[in-house]
Amino acid sequence: MTNRLKEIKWREHVIYFIFTGIILLFSVLLFDRGFLTGSNLMNIARQTAMISIMAVGMTFVLAAEEIDLSFGSVVALAAIITAQVLRATGSIILAILAGLLVGAIIGIINGLFVAKVGIPSFLVTLGMSGIILGTARWVSHLQSIPINNDTFTFIFGSGDIGPVPVLFIWMILAGSLGHLVLKKTPFGRKVLATGGNKISALYSGIKVSRMKMSVMVINSVLAAFAGILYTGRLHGARYTLGTNEVMIVIAAVIIGGTSMFGGKGSVIGSVIGALIMGILNNGLILLGLSVDQQMIFRGLIIIIAVSLTMREKKG
Amino acid sequence: MSEYSINASAINISFDGVHILHDVDFKVKAGEVHALVGTNGAGKSTLVKIINGVYKKDSGTISIFGKDLEYNTPEEALKAGIAMVFQDLSLIPSLTVAQNIFLQTHPYRKGLLIDDRKAGENAKELLSMIGVDTEISINDKVEDLSVGKQQIIEIAKALSHNPKVLILDEPTASLSSAEIESLFTVIETLKKKGISIIYITHYLQDIFKICDSLTLIRDGKIIFREDTIDINLKYLVDAMAGGESESISWNRKKAMRSGTPLLELKDLNTEKIKNIDLKIYPGEIVGIAGLLGSGRSELLETLFGIEKLRTGKILVNGKAVDISSSSKAIDEGITLVPENRREQGLVLDFAVEDNIVMSIINRLKKFIVVDREKTGKIANHYIQSLNVKTQGPGQVVRYLSGGNQQKIVVAKCLASDSKILLLDDPTFGVDIHAKHEIMKIIMDYASKGNGVLFISSEFKEIAGFCDSIYIMKKGRLTEFLSEDVSEDDLLLKVQ
Repeated sequence: MTNRLKEIKWREHVIYFIFTGIILLFSVLLFDRGFLTGSNLMNIARQTAMISIMAVGMTFVLAAEEIDLSFGSVVALAAIITAQVLRATGSIILAILAGLLVGAIIGIINGLFVAKVGIPSFLVTLGMSGIILGTARWVSHLQSIPINNDTFTFIFGSGDIGPVPVLFIWMILAGSLGHLVLKKTPFGRKVLATGGNKISALYSGIKVSRMKMSVMVINSVLAAFAGILYTGRLHGARYTLGTNEVMIVIAAVIIGGTSMFGGKGSVIGSVIGALIMGILNNGLILLGLSVDQQMIFRGLIIIIAVSLTMREKKG
Repeated sequence: MSEYSINASAINISFDGVHILHDVDFKVKAGEVHALVGTNGAGKSTLVKIINGVYKKDSGTISIFGKDLEYNTPEEALKAGIAMVFQDLSLIPSLTVAQNIFLQTHPYRKGLLIDDRKAGENAKELLSMIGVDTEISINDKVEDLSVGKQQIIEIAKALSHNPKVLILDEPTASLSSAEIESLFTVIETLKKKGISIIYITHYLQDIFKICDSLTLIRDGKIIFREDTIDINLKYLVDAMAGGESESISWNRKKAMRSGTPLLELKDLNTEKIKNIDLKIYPGEIVGIAGLLGSGRSELLETLFGIEKLRTGKILVNGKAVDISSSSKAIDEGITLVPENRREQGLVLDFAVEDNIVMSIINRLKKFIVVDREKTGKIANHYIQSLNVKTQGPGQVVRYLSGGNQQKIVVAKCLASDSKILLLDDPTFGVDIHAKHEIMKIIMDYASKGNGVLFISSEFKEIAGFCDSIYIMKKGRLTEFLSEDVSEDDLLLKVQ
């Protein structure tokens, strides 16, 4: 019995060892290439912020034993709509609201199909991702939409406050808020109960379908927000945003200790998982690996890290 | 050749330095039905898991018909001739009966393909050997069968391996009396074929009906091996508890059936239950005696908002209420201890305290976060008052014993301040001490003016425990009994 408890503790904390291990490894390997310099670390934070924010949302989805494959295209569509509204109206508030609204609407549609119609979230969101991406390509005519509103780009992506990138602040905000909600509020507990055992949750008076609905909406809204940040950071929106990040985000969340089978989730773990992804990216580039080699290495490291975190005791 | 089909001697096993089994000797003769008896936590599951190849013993030998064997997995044990029928069903719900029976083996083939016709014939043969071939079709999907019938398929599946030793873990627990009788007939048949049966059950009376001999295990040590005819029930119960057992007479003072009923059902109809009229008065424990499939569980689930109500009225304290969901039921003060604690009652990977407050989590809000202090207080209160054996409120419930898990489910119901407690076989698979403790908790609850609706697969419990009893058959309440009845009366009436 004690062994089992140790096993669980190990699995929960292995993420921090991986994190430290990778930092140490790169610090040694890349000592003379500026890995540990402040500017490089802040660069990593910038590159990781959006992944982290999406990972926060995905933590809720996986904790409730659902999945969302459509959030990558939500990033693209929300970014495009935000950029278009900003260009048309010049109002930052309207632009942000429009972007977030896109996320909320898509989340509600996903949620309705999952919770009310009862279609597996895998299928609903797979289908939705096509619809959303198609819409994004259509409304943007496959063109980039440039933004030159300095206030917008400062707050939502490009600015620094002292040495600290604004993106880093957004990441910390989303992470802390997500952690608080999942770990400390009744809502978070009900999400975990739903993922841990839907039937028991139902027999305990928890409105299971409302929980499913909520996690789908949270994830889409956070993805939309990530889309807004991409727009601010890149000074424009494009339909290609986000779609490459889907697997990276899901991997980050799982490495972070959230179970794919629901009931267990750690927002902090997910953020660390996202940081690991960012550091890997950065380190592999600094090591001078080609894009092909980077892809192979990243894939390998993801598999190894996930195997370590998912190690289950037999019997 | 040895007279013992299985002879395990000087078995030791420790987990993390905790010595669980001490020099255990366990043997079963060929063609013998042998009971392995002990309270939960005595070590009988551990011993069986060693015999079945799930756990690796630290020391000791196991021989099959005099031949020492080493095996380390259930598959190897199966090859050695040891098959086990699991308490937690291991069937695939979406497959048919025949497909399930031959799931691992697929012995019947046409080239590369499964010969479904041949497999079907053989499955049918196995079913007719158990005497259920008229009730169960081999083409039925397992998910459409009752738990009782699924248990029988599970046995047929084990038999398909032609085992020399068959381990039955609580085989009768979910069977109706008729099914139990036919199971016993099968056991007799198997016995005549020279198969040894290791029989594990909490239904001690069954041991005297069907077993030739028994081994009693307590605290990881063998206390004795006796022939059943040499001992009696009283002796066995005393020995199990180590001389601490006290005979239980409930001595309940009957609640008055007058005034406004706490719960009143008027002509309730759902898909499974018909024309249900029922009343529970404050302080009353009302029993429902019915066989598996009588609609007893469905009635409770209807009252808890899980099954859909078609027509009829539910009144709480004389006021009609809407119970269309479990959360509405809890708001009206109705809670359910469901039939299957692991699947319906608990989130197994949640801590004890999180399970206990699961129904009232919204009421524990301080600002926007859950009040941990209050949660801990509530959890500790119930851990103490229900005497839950746990390392603390933070322990994950998966690793608690069945009795303690059930207490957590009961605690969850009590924590929501319910007025009406629905109990669906709350003592199933629970050891005798925990069982008595749970019954005591229910009595205390009722004596505070609350109402209880109680189902049990042991009619003895209903007869001895309930103030009044409804007999349920085929979805209908057929009789109301307010006088004292015996277990035998009930057994006859529900047929």
